[in-house]
Amino acid sequence: MAVKQGVQLAVISLLASVAIAQTSAAQVPGVTADTIRIGSFGALTGPGYLYGKLPMNGIEAVFDEVNAAGGVNGRKLQLVREDDRCDPAAAIGAVKKLISEDNVFALIGGGCSNATFAARDALDEAKIPLVVMASVHDGITTPVSPTIFSAALTSTIESEAQLLYAISQKAKRIAVISMRDAWGRARYTPLMEAFKKRGITPVADEEMAPDANDATAQVLRLKAANADAVLIVLYPKPAAIFMRDAQKLGYKPLAIGQTGIADPAAFEEQVGSPGATALFRTISMVRYTPEDPAMDKWRKAIETKFSGDRLSVFNLFGIGSAQVMVEALKRAGRDLTREKLVAALNHLTNFPTDVYGAGITCTETDHRCNKAPVWIAKEPGKPVRVLEVTKVE
Amino acid sequence: MTLFGRRNVLMVLALTAAIAPSFVNDYYLFVANTILIYVLLSIGLNILLGYTGQLAFANAAMFGIGAYATGLLQVRVGWPFWLAFPSGALIATAVGLAISLPALRLRGLYLAVSTLAFAQFTQWVFLNWESVTYGAGGFKTPPISFAPLPVSKQAGLYYLTLILVVVLYVLAQNAVRSRIGRAFIAVRDSEIAAQSLGVDLLRYKALAFGISGFYAGVAGGLYSALLNFVSPEGYDLFQMVLQKAMVVVGGLGSIVGSLLGAGAIITALEALRTVKGLQEIAFGAILLGFILFMPNGIIGALKAKVRGWEEPVHRSRRRNSPPGPAAVTTPRSEVRP
Repeated sequence: MAVKQGVQLAVISLLASVAIAQTSAAQVPGVTADTIRIGSFGALTGPGYLYGKLPMNGIEAVFDEVNAAGGVNGRKLQLVREDDRCDPAAAIGAVKKLISEDNVFALIGGGCSNATFAARDALDEAKIPLVVMASVHDGITTPVSPTIFSAALTSTIESEAQLLYAISQKAKRIAVISMRDAWGRARYTPLMEAFKKRGITPVADEEMAPDANDATAQVLRLKAANADAVLIVLYPKPAAIFMRDAQKLGYKPLAIGQTGIADPAAFEEQVGSPGATALFRTISMVRYTPEDPAMDKWRKAIETKFSGDRLSVFNLFGIGSAQVMVEALKRAGRDLTREKLVAALNHLTNFPTDVYGAGITCTETDHRCNKAPVWIAKEPGKPVRVLEVTKVE
Repeated sequence: MTLFGRRNVLMVLALTAAIAPSFVNDYYLFVANTILIYVLLSIGLNILLGYTGQLAFANAAMFGIGAYATGLLQVRVGWPFWLAFPSGALIATAVGLAISLPALRLRGLYLAVSTLAFAQFTQWVFLNWESVTYGAGGFKTPPISFAPLPVSKQAGLYYLTLILVVVLYVLAQNAVRSRIGRAFIAVRDSEIAAQSLGVDLLRYKALAFGISGFYAGVAGGLYSALLNFVSPEGYDLFQMVLQKAMVVVGGLGSIVGSLLGAGAIITALEALRTVKGLQEIAFGAILLGFILFMPNGIIGALKAKVRGWEEPVHRSRRRNSPPGPAAVTTPRSEVRP
């Protein structure tokens, strides 16, 4: 009888302990005994897919590698993707779905700036940790949101870097050519502030439409202003038209781009005018080009998992941000909570990833964790090369 | 009255909507709120397009004007939402009335092109009048407060939207069953015939544009409060396509069709999230399917298959009055766009 009671007690205790263990795991959204569900939002369709779908493919490649090695503290990582179509309303819907419906533990995402910026309130309200993978809007991380961290360069950092690079190259007459859409405005405004801060006035301030097919007027005005360096705040297509027309009209300034034109080889092809990009320098968020042998591992991973894809610089954005998240998850420990993940992210100091220009450092007062723009260039007939990594404070 | 007739179904929908916040999560509440906002847009557009036959493309712009006016009055002038919101709706109404003036001289494709030009101009203003609109980057609006009512922002905004939808739905339904609605239909079917019957074209066209602008303005104000963010990309040509799709899918010339169309399109868009990357193709296929196989929209199919979905353009007579020809619902008294 006593033995029977003992067995019953043991079984009840065992069931109770399993139930308690399951309950405690279930209390943390998106975390089970053997999995952690991470959400991602960005454009999966439309022209913005470069900043959404491709980084997400990179994230998935990192998760596959981590899972193959046993996961994070014994838990496998699962990625749940949502399409925001670069639309603010769709981004809010995507974030709410990931949080309330898919019950994800944390997020790595944000492709288009306005969409991510619009979703900030929903993210703050849910207190869910987010590592931004590609959006550059300053408002996403400034003022500091307790749970949003950016592994991407922000527009202020890039704009500052563009001006500093021109100055470092001994440019005396600096001009600007920009687009004034949401993306362009997010960079143009801090760029003008950077000029003002240094007491410099641009010798010309030209504008181009994203769908422009001629830049003759802009080139002639910049030429007339005798600008020796032009800071380009344009998408690749209008920038290519500008470079082509500059070459045509015999104008050869130092042309300084930003991460919107992060693939100089593709840009050279797009310009299609031999020698036109000889003096073109641009910023990359990452210190390697997709062709670099150091990226062989990731090239193989991407091209195996997503047949037909070619490793692109946008995949690398996802790889970097996913490595930041994985490291923070590791540091947060097996007894995982969102608070512990946020604390781990807040204490990342000089964390080296496979792709970024320098180590990732986040503090409680500054969640712009990547401040190392990488300068790259492609001389005609030669491969893309990294010129230098700068640090913007 | 049939069990699955319009009145019963709408009653069930209204009751479900009223208790929804107590059993749905944040995401579904957001989707439900979005549907309600699009119901307003769809009703306004249907009055203009389906009832009055004005092929105008300015609804997205007026939606944007309502959102911008409500947001900017809060951010720039410091007005509370409760003052900025009705003002925004009135501004959109005034714009709607203003663009009805060229509509008196234009019709068909010419009206479509001129209103499209107006929509593009509005986009340009949103983008480039930076000192007022904050340009392409948009702006955040202050969160709406329902204090001292014991409701959260989401639930409070949802109930506010629901109440406005019910009120404006009933108003629209009554308007189209009145002399006004019949005048709209007369204008749509033949302007010359309508004039010969004594219908004042200026008055009724302006009224249709004004009503459409008002509904779009109300929807815009609620949308800015829902997103807490206003930026130009929400009010572009795709927005117009979305609204037109709702009217076509629901059924042209039907107020209840507007409700069904908005619900169907937003639900489809959200459901299509599961077919990532194929969302646009699937959306296009749905639209094509409706145009090819259900040209009268959901309401057309319901009217054909289910009793009790007729939409007479006269109010029903009182029960004790003798039945007259106008009280009998015949195909002739229904709206046939």
